Amino acid sequence: MVRRLSFTAAGVVIVIILVIAFVGLFMLRRPGTLEGQPTTIHLETVGAVGAANEWPRPGDPHPDWVGYLPTTILRVPANSTIKVQIDQEDSATGLRNPFWGKVFGTEGNTMHVTYFDDKGNPQEGDMTTIDPTQAAHTFAIPDLGVFVPLLGVNSNAPAGSTNVITFSFKTKGPGIYHWQCFVPCGAKTVFGNGGPMQTLGYMAGELIVS
Amino acid sequence: MSTFRIEEADRPHIIRLAIIWVILSAIGVIAVLLFLHIPPGDQTVQGADQSNTMLLMTVLATPIFIGVVMLIIYSAIYFRRSGPELADGPPMLGNAPVQVVWIAGSAIIVLFLAFVGITTLATNSSAQTVSGQSSAAASGAGSEMQVQVIAQQWYFTYRYADYGGVESTHLYLPVDRPVELHVTSLDIIHSFWAYQLGVKADANPGVDNIFHVTPQKLGSFQVRCAELCGIWHGEMADSQGQVVSQSDFDTWIAQQQQDYAEIQKVVPSYAPFYFPLPLTKGS
Repeated sequence: MVRRLSFTAAGVVIVIILVIAFVGLFMLRRPGTLEGQPTTIHLETVGAVGAANEWPRPGDPHPDWVGYLPTTILRVPANSTIKVQIDQEDSATGLRNPFWGKVFGTEGNTMHVTYFDDKGNPQEGDMTTIDPTQAAHTFAIPDLGVFVPLLGVNSNAPAGSTNVITFSFKTKGPGIYHWQCFVPCGAKTVFGNGGPMQTLGYMAGELIVS
Repeated sequence: MSTFRIEEADRPHIIRLAIIWVILSAIGVIAVLLFLHIPPGDQTVQGADQSNTMLLMTVLATPIFIGVVMLIIYSAIYFRRSGPELADGPPMLGNAPVQVVWIAGSAIIVLFLAFVGITTLATNSSAQTVSGQSSAAASGAGSEMQVQVIAQQWYFTYRYADYGGVESTHLYLPVDRPVELHVTSLDIIHSFWAYQLGVKADANPGVDNIFHVTPQKLGSFQVRCAELCGIWHGEMADSQGQVVSQSDFDTWIAQQQQDYAEIQKVVPSYAPFYFPLPLTKGS
């Protein structure tokens, strides 16, 4: 009798624990309230966070790391068109996989670039691909199929020059999508894929769609 | 050595146990056959082989498992010591017939399963790993369609050697056509895991890891990385893999060749593996 009771009690306790765990997991899955719904994203990519022009970050623990500024946590509304402007100040590193030299998933599969040619003269135009060896970074959201290579500043351009890349893409349903760079730009790390490439706030980021 | 005999008092227990065992085993085996999902399913011939082998082992193991658990529970209930008596039972000095039956039965089951497992393994995904410059010859030019899986931090891309080496962001495979998957990596160690296809292959830089699959069912499949490879390892997944009909595949691959014609000019020519030099920023 006592044994049967204890078995019943243990069963009830296990069921209660499972219910609590299930409810807890369900609550964890629900994103909290998110503020701000910009439909325009303005970013700056720099060769060293400590040398940023537009969004300097004094006191940064890694002033010599490459990075996207001012933040890599981007909040955007769902099912809408997001316009992106990237002020690209870094020089070229080159892609490990040249395939990513193509623009994927933006509206019209194209991007608009103002850049400097080999003579250092400013140029402007729409591009669907770039020379993979001239890529400084890429802005890629794999789960949305968006891959945009960012042209590095030509070495003949005047000092302090900036390439401006603009494009737009469409978001899908709410969720957290990761975005990253496909250029192995983490200098002094194995294959260039460590350091800033693996750290939120530098070359790794999240797109919070709500 | 004493001869094997059943005490008169044990008969009802044995009959009862046999009946319970047969009924529970039948229920268990039917439940396994009806409700248990045995990975990885039957989207490819090789996956179905793996599933069937595991199903056979599960079906054979179910009555054995039920028998062992049943004996423990039954003994705990019916042979429980109830009084304060501490007298020992009669000594058991070994029982040749029981031992022979037990050993022979186990041996037959284990050898049979070993035979099934080895033959399945031999005819199934005969994987080869090739590294070094000779691998181009190893890949051969058989009837199998060659598809290269290229892992990089943090995405898989695919190249179709038989279609001008066109590279794509998703894996499409035609149904009922043997495929030779060549898995490699551009940077560090990843692992190409296409669950429904029954393939999990290490992706190592400088290594051409070859797996064979023959899709036999239309539908989508998941691809993910199965080797911790950095911050976005968990995101290195694609649910848009597709097994399509040959005509749909021809349409799709033509579209890929058209879409990627421009970038294809600068992508290196198809090779067993690529080993781009580690690039570092000039600073």
